[in-house]
Amino acid sequence: METPIAYDKLAREERFVRMRTRDVANAKIDQGLPPFPDITTRDSMRDRIHGILVGELQAMEGAGRTVYDFPDAPWEFALDMARQVWDESRHVETYLGLLDHLGGYVGEFPETTLLWRCACAEDAAARVAGVNRGLEGLACDVFNQLIHIARKIGDPVLERSVDYVLADEITHVRMGSRWLNELTRGDPERRRRAIEFQDSIDERFNLGGTRQDGHHEVVPISIAKDARRLAGFTDEEIDRLVKSTQRSQVY
Amino acid sequence: MRVLGGWIALTPEVDVKLLFGRHVWDCAQHADLWGRRLPELRAAAQQSEPANAGVVAAWSLIETAEGKDQTLERVTAIYRVLKPHLATVYERHLAVANPVYEPPTRRILVRCIEEERRHAAAGALVLDRLLAGDRALAERAGTWQRRVLDALIAAGGVTGDVESPLVETPATAPDPASVAQDLVAPPRPLDAATALGELAAPLDAHRRALARGDLAAVRSDLAPEAAPEASAEYARLVPPFERVEVVGVARIGRQRVVKLWLGGPRGRQVLQERWAPRPGGWRVVVVELASAQP
Repeated sequence: METPIAYDKLAREERFVRMRTRDVANAKIDQGLPPFPDITTRDSMRDRIHGILVGELQAMEGAGRTVYDFPDAPWEFALDMARQVWDESRHVETYLGLLDHLGGYVGEFPETTLLWRCACAEDAAARVAGVNRGLEGLACDVFNQLIHIARKIGDPVLERSVDYVLADEITHVRMGSRWLNELTRGDPERRRRAIEFQDSIDERFNLGGTRQDGHHEVVPISIAKDARRLAGFTDEEIDRLVKSTQRSQVY
Repeated sequence: MRVLGGWIALTPEVDVKLLFGRHVWDCAQHADLWGRRLPELRAAAQQSEPANAGVVAAWSLIETAEGKDQTLERVTAIYRVLKPHLATVYERHLAVANPVYEPPTRRILVRCIEEERRHAAAGALVLDRLLAGDRALAERAGTWQRRVLDALIAAGGVTGDVESPLVETPATAPDPASVAQDLVAPPRPLDAATALGELAAPLDAHRRALARGDLAAVRSDLAPEAAPEASAEYARLVPPFERVEVVGVARIGRQRVVKLWLGGPRGRQVLQERWAPRPGGWRVVVVELASAQP
């Protein structure tokens, strides 16, 4: 099997419409819509849930590739990544159910592959830094906000489902923190490159500037500091992320 | 474990992806149990190697099925051959494993047998869905099954010394309720008419124009602001088309991105068009020929 596989080999059923992230954002801006769904309407909630569904699919595919692509990595690393594959497969099932719950259908919104591209980093350390710490950290922020909104609008199905998924994401970030350290032990240059990759992801995925420091009621997506601390982020790392959101551009 | 993990991204069908995703973790736990048992038997922990070159060749053959149109081969190799073979080997081992000296091994075997049989049963159901009663597909699966099994026979099975037959049917079928837990129903088929809404009628006329190769009529649906490349994309089409099907409809605000599957004697092409409502009706603002196959 080819390793690593080319970005464009990500296989999808025909029902999925794939577009570039920038094209989707521009098409929304042209219509006076925010580039990232703001969850103020039922439509935008479905758009958000669909985006997460596709993200979970790509996370499962990415973790699966990590199991395959690094046969010489420590066995416990492969074991953790295999566990993550299973978790992500259950998340996909959860979000398929939530999409149904909201009256949507698979393929209702375009799929972008920016997340998948990040999961294709050639170094295992960069992959866990970027995906497990960068993207799963982002998932902590987004899911934390979703739970808050679900509670506010009185949707216990959404609230509880996302809460269970959030618990897994925290575990995945912890795995990422562990393997970033272990895979780069004694190799500061490899560690620096991996962290740089994670930082670049944090900047690219600031959701058009909507992820910010502050309370749920005040900012569109609040950085989930408590969840991030639980996941093993240091206060210094959280401060760095807050600073990056202040200079992030719309992607 | 590794092969299933690698295949998830290469497999289009959502239900098959999820089947692989569930089983990757079970397979990892099996490998971990065996790997931790090894030092208890005076071997190195978590280290293994293929029994012989034939096993390597069989694995290489299985891994060749990495094309996006080869889900049938992937599912057949793992669920009709490999997992039933592993369960067979484990059952034979269990039958001779001493109940006084080897309970640690026996416990692992019992768990692995139960899970491999369950996996095989779940895979068989997914395969049935993929075959959908199609005789040609069933033949294709059967041919691949024989090839993979022959490669395993040449290797002497996974351990290099397995006696024929390499695959035996289980004495008792796995519990259907436990098999069901491994399966996720495929998403509902696209209801194109509902998804298109008021775009359905203009798109129908557009599809008919595409089918007969009337590119002037097709281009007349372009919005004035559409880039010149949009018109050029239509020139890349190779009509006539016997079938022009709507296979995907995505929404971006008030706009719709429609994915059309065009099939004709010269091959099939996939066209993606973004439609926007304009005062005079729906117009195409972006066109992209997504893929073409002979």
